Amino acid sequence: MDDPAFWHRLQFAFTITYHYLFPQLTMGLAPFLVLWRWRALRTGHEAYAQAARFWSRIFGITFVVGVVTGIPMEFQFGTNWSEFSKYAGGVIGQTLAMEGMFAFFMESAFVGAMVWGERRLGPRKHFVATALVALGSWLSAYFILTTNAFMQHPVGHRITENGTLVIADLGGYLLNPWAWVMFAHNQAAAVVTGAFVVAAVGAFYTLRLEHQGQARVYVEWGIAAGLISAVIVAFPTGDVQAKFVARYQEVSLAAMEGRFESGAMAPLHLIGQPNVKMRKLENAVALPGMLSFLAYGTFHSNVRGLEAFPEDQWPTNIELLYYSFHVMAGLGTLFIGLMALANLQRWRGRLLRTPLLLWALMLAFPFPFIANTAGWLTAELGRQPWLVYGLFRTSAGYADVVSQGDTLFTLIGFTGLYSAVGLLYLFLIGREVLHGPPNGHDEPPGPYPEMIHG
Amino acid sequence: MVEIWFAILSVTLAGYAVLDGSNIGSGVVQFLVARSPAERRLVVSAIGPLWTWHEVWLVASGGILFVAFPTVLAVALPGFYLAVFTLLWCMVGRGLSLELGGHLDDPLWRRFWEVVFSVVSVLTAILLGAALGNLVRGVPLGASGKFSMPFFTDFKTQGQVGILDWYTMSAGVFTLICVAAHGASYLVFKTAGAVHDRSASLARKLWFSAFLLLPLITAETFSVRPELFTGMMDRPLAWLALTTALAGSIAVVLGQRGGKELQALLGGGGFIVGLLGAAAASTFPVMLRSTIDPAYSLTAQRGAVGGAGLALALWWWPVAMTLSIAYFVAVFRQFNGKVRMAPPPSP
Ligand code: HDD
Ligand code: HEM
Ligand code: HEM
Repeated sequence: MDDPAFWHRLQFAFTITYHYLFPQLTMGLAPFLVLWRWRALRTGHEAYAQAARFWSRIFGITFVVGVVTGIPMEFQFGTNWSEFSKYAGGVIGQTLAMEGMFAFFMESAFVGAMVWGERRLGPRKHFVATALVALGSWLSAYFILTTNAFMQHPVGHRITENGTLVIADLGGYLLNPWAWVMFAHNQAAAVVTGAFVVAAVGAFYTLRLEHQGQARVYVEWGIAAGLISAVIVAFPTGDVQAKFVARYQEVSLAAMEGRFESGAMAPLHLIGQPNVKMRKLENAVALPGMLSFLAYGTFHSNVRGLEAFPEDQWPTNIELLYYSFHVMAGLGTLFIGLMALANLQRWRGRLLRTPLLLWALMLAFPFPFIANTAGWLTAELGRQPWLVYGLFRTSAGYADVVSQGDTLFTLIGFTGLYSAVGLLYLFLIGREVLHGPPNGHDEPPGPYPEMIHG
Repeated sequence: MVEIWFAILSVTLAGYAVLDGSNIGSGVVQFLVARSPAERRLVVSAIGPLWTWHEVWLVASGGILFVAFPTVLAVALPGFYLAVFTLLWCMVGRGLSLELGGHLDDPLWRRFWEVVFSVVSVLTAILLGAALGNLVRGVPLGASGKFSMPFFTDFKTQGQVGILDWYTMSAGVFTLICVAAHGASYLVFKTAGAVHDRSASLARKLWFSAFLLLPLITAETFSVRPELFTGMMDRPLAWLALTTALAGSIAVVLGQRGGKELQALLGGGGFIVGLLGAAAASTFPVMLRSTIDPAYSLTAQRGAVGGAGLALALWWWPVAMTLSIAYFVAVFRQFNGKVRMAPPPSP
């Protein structure tokens, strides 16, 4: 806490974690909207148009909160991480600017048309607007993940005489293999969130015996997309992520697994508590050899433990890193189980008559948010003590002219503002869900509908 | 290369001022031109769903600063720390009020968001104006090459200055008036009925005050930073910008007299772009002027990124900008024309 970087880190971590709660849902809902609009356009089924209309409203509210919480993020690189921006701006500036220019302009131009323009645009143009918003949101993720991937695994840069980084190979930077894996894993994880939320609302209506037709669409599409994406998250993408970490961030892997000693036949810990002072994992339950196998493909590979590395290269918060990783991977396994079960029951034609499973689906929706947050904690804590892995330490990156009091003040400001925003968001979403899918064209009030243009 | 990126940055910021200025200005004048809740909904509808696209111009300016002038970004943003966050929080409030204010058909809910919208719009306009004032006046850059400023010190414009002093405050007020005038012109162009008529008469008064105050703010600027004017003499771009501002102000006056609403709106935009352009053209290459010693000023060359970054970005930037304008045109055409109140639903 006496470390001046502490408050900057806490503020950045809090605001980014909060921001990402919303984009993961919009990015996860986007494919649903595109597919439903597409089916409605092709088959003329009103049910799909209605589903798209309902979820567009949820999307719209979520998007707004995503935008208003995203704008401070972009600027915090400057206000709070100015030394880092000075150091790495020559590289990461490229993707941060591209994100604004290619993705945000696209999203922001079409989102209003998508949420409020169905009647004005007609089905075809409206479909295009929906598809462009979806594309924009995924593009935005690609650019921001490339930025983060550079921090995890720097490629495509050159170090100048005065010690800062500049871009040397733009193609190499944009096609960073780490970025591709991250993108695949992270986007699949966003679809998990979208799918769980869609299924949860469907289960809620089913259990309340409301909106039966729509509820069925939500549950069925939700569990189908949920199973596919949950599997992709674990395999191949999660697996490859782990292999990348093993290859390029060996210390992080050791810390994520709470592994202190080195050796072959490294076990995968299912549970256990790391005790960093005593340098051991307590109460561990483990699968022998699995970590060696998962990280390097054979049971006999040596997986180096933390002791093999100098302490000043250890991640700074090993306990939290360990728990985050295990929460993510543990939840990932449970997601596959739950969704597999739901699809099995559906295949047997029994899903909508299995209240226990519907209850589980209804209550499960917060967990993908938790898993996503835990995943990001894993990535970001695992990167420590580096801001740019192996090149630039976090302790060198913060804005040293800003006084601790100022950072604390803005952190408190964000906490207050974002608590209010969170309550507001839950209230509005709750209202939409209770109101239910709109019937026909009876659009409930929104920002602009009661006015006539032209 | 540095010149090109400085120009791109200036144009993007000016684009932000004009585009988002019309929305901020609408918020500033909202309660003056719209007397009933329905009329205030009309104002929000006139802003329409493209306000996010306007706001992205600010994000894009930040992106350009990042890709081309990371050192300027890294010096300026922490220096203005508290002001930046105040501005960001205002933007959060504005986004929420515009998008969520209409979600409930409840008088208290709507009233609350109307007030939020107006308050943050006024604050945003003043803050942006004060920020401009700071750029013109300069910041306390010392030998360390960094600075950090409190909100105010002794209100003088030399030495250890604060964000607010007599000059930056008058820049804030002048900006507020210009932005309000621009917003009123926008509402004249986009609305019909009572809101339109009130906006028209307000726009006339506001633009008149802006033109009246211009000599004053010019004189103030001269006293704070005389070299801006001597530097202007041999800069054709500065003269072009000033001509634009002048032509814009004439277009405003003629447009208002002749009822040519679009002309008046564009004229106001031209006036704003012209003033900003003239400031940018005459300050170049200084990006952050030091109030302590001119030798500490941060120039575009020293603030620019090294290596091939500038050249590389010049490959993709025009493509992205063209695409983005294309989206705008496509969407704008759908929401073209005036907004008016829907007739009450027939029983
Ligand atoms: C629904 C969310 C979710 C679920 C169920 C999983 N993940 Fe994950 N994971 C993410 C969501 C996520 C994430 C939030 O999207 C992260 C953060 C950074 C990234 O690229 O993806 C992530 C990061 C991340 C990392 C860290 C990369 C780094 O340090 O940079 C690894 C090793 C894994 N994942 C591996 C897995 C494995 C083996 C899983 C087994 C089931 C798994 N993830 C499930
Ligand atoms: C949305 C998902 C993300 C979450 C939840 C997240 C989480 C975090 C956390 C918890 C920290 C603090 C680490 C510490 O103090 O030890 C952090 C730091 C940071 N993250 Fe992320 N992050 C996310 C995405 C990103 C992305 C995409 C970028 C870059 C583009 C990024 C850049 C940074 C930076 C610059 C820091 C500050 C330096 C540091 O403490 O390491 N983050 N993030
Ligand atoms: C995992 C990391 C992130 C992902 C996947 C992500 C994705 C998105 C998406 C999809 C949006 C659109 C709004 C929405 O759908 O809710 C958005 C908005 C935004 N994000 Fe993030 N984001 C991430 C992290 C960050 C970070 C680290 C920054 C800061 C540099 C940032 C800056 C922004 C900004 C400025 C907006 C507003 C865009 C607008 O005005 O349209 N995001 N983000």
